[in-house]
Amino acid sequence: MKAAIGYAATVLRSMWRHAGGRFPLVVLGLWAAISVVSLFWTPQPLMRTDGYHTWQSPSAEHWLGTDGTGADVFSWLMAGSRTDLLIVILTVLVAAALGLLFVAAMVSRHTALAGASVVVVDALISIPTVLIALVLAVPMGASIAVIVIACGFGYGLNLARVARPQALLAAQSDYVESAVSNGASGAYVFFRHIVPNILPVMLVQLSLSAGTAVLAESGLTYLGVGVPSGTPSWGHSLATTVRFITVYPLTVLWPGLVVTVAVVALNLFGDALRDAIDPVTNPELRRAAGATRMEEDGHGR
Amino acid sequence: MGVDIRDLRIAIGGKEIVHGVDLSIGDGERVGLIGASGSGKSMIARAMLGLLPPDVMVTGSVMLSGAEVIGAADRTLADLRGRYTGMVFQNPGASLNPVLPVGRQVELPLRLHYDLTRSERVERVNAMLAKVGLPADVAAKFPHELSGGQRQRVGIATALITSPRLIVADEPTTALDSITQRQIVDLLVSLVDEAGASMLFITHDFSVLTRATTRCVVLDEGSVVETGETATMLAAPQDERTARLVRAARTLTLRVSREGADRETDRGAAPSDDATADEHEGEA
Repeated sequence: MKAAIGYAATVLRSMWRHAGGRFPLVVLGLWAAISVVSLFWTPQPLMRTDGYHTWQSPSAEHWLGTDGTGADVFSWLMAGSRTDLLIVILTVLVAAALGLLFVAAMVSRHTALAGASVVVVDALISIPTVLIALVLAVPMGASIAVIVIACGFGYGLNLARVARPQALLAAQSDYVESAVSNGASGAYVFFRHIVPNILPVMLVQLSLSAGTAVLAESGLTYLGVGVPSGTPSWGHSLATTVRFITVYPLTVLWPGLVVTVAVVALNLFGDALRDAIDPVTNPELRRAAGATRMEEDGHGR
Repeated sequence: MGVDIRDLRIAIGGKEIVHGVDLSIGDGERVGLIGASGSGKSMIARAMLGLLPPDVMVTGSVMLSGAEVIGAADRTLADLRGRYTGMVFQNPGASLNPVLPVGRQVELPLRLHYDLTRSERVERVNAMLAKVGLPADVAAKFPHELSGGQRQRVGIATALITSPRLIVADEPTTALDSITQRQIVDLLVSLVDEAGASMLFITHDFSVLTRATTRCVVLDEGSVVETGETATMLAAPQDERTARLVRAARTLTLRVSREGADRETDRGAAPSDDATADEHEGEA
């Protein structure tokens, strides 16, 4: 546990040293903080509307103005951040789990299973995420679960397809054969030897998926199958204002800006994390491994 | 008996690659398996440990310490591998996981087969690294930070850390320069003898085999063509295919001697047997 915390601290420190890593860390840190704060406080109560002050410009009372119902745009964006954060986290988890499951099947020693899983992934990957969401919305109605399942499924298949060549290289490598020749089981080899070697590809793909999930939330909510009406989300803020973009462009600008910054930060986060966890390119990680080992040597004596 | 192979046949896609090989290795015996590239040496080694993929057809019998390997369950094989057998690979760079520190890789057989605490494992890894002539700080390094010779020493440490009864060395010197080849062979032989283990040493190079083994089996196109004492075979090969390998080895030995002499002349110093001194020069 102590070693894991030390590893995470080293990785974060390495990311912080570069502007490409600092920007996403600041944005994602702010996003997480605002999400938590929004649970207890927003500048204006979310459900307060004011029919006499709709489409207001930014002011001391309404920092980013008001929307068509007179609700405070900043408060809704704050509250929406927690919904989008939840969607991003759940979508990435579902995509990672499904992707790894398919990767494991596709690099299996059992050729029949490997061949069949490639065909299944190729067939399923052709189904658009929007179509899956529309089908799911029939029994489930508009909900966060629809977005998470549809996006997680689609992105998981993409992940499996992208990670497969790297995973195959690892599975056929000498170091995997060496581990097997030492008595390692299939599951051990997969999680200890194959996954760490496909992690760079996975991180970049998952960070792209996280960004796309934010965009998908906006799109699906606009179509009426995403976040249910009344639940704050960035997509909801966009969907309720986008029709008036030519008349009140500012109210569309704010959620659009937030979504753009979040997507860029998520994409950069994946790149920075990939560089930070690579022991070949990150000397700090190698030094940390040395320090941990010396500590263990101390215990060993 | 350490290993007893009877009528081993290996076929890929319906085509037989190894044709009824018989081979036995006694306790504490070092046996060489020599043959040209593509003669089926590595296939036999992998079949011995049940490492061939499921679509490769393997028939016959491989008895490892009384247990049949051919057709054995995965669990039985996993229990034998690493505990009863250890394997040294041809390419030391490729046989180490690039993203795991060396110490984690050396301790793998201990972690899989023995119920030891973390500190006990660290202690044994450090002792094993010292035995193969590597400093303890190598444990915290990643494979790309080591030279080729050092990586192969790590491979040997991994194979021997559980004191297995059988070592399979699959061309462990092929990817190394001629000076490091000699050091690695000598190290492997001394450690195997010290542990009282048996060894199957695979190579296509007689000059290496004479240092590593006492008896050898010559393989050509998947069949055994000659078996006997390594020294006798080198002096008077009976089969023409063996004679070809011997001639090639003699040419290579001359080259090795010349290279060694050149190197010593360049240094202007007496030859040194210090293994790590040579290898640290190549350290990244």
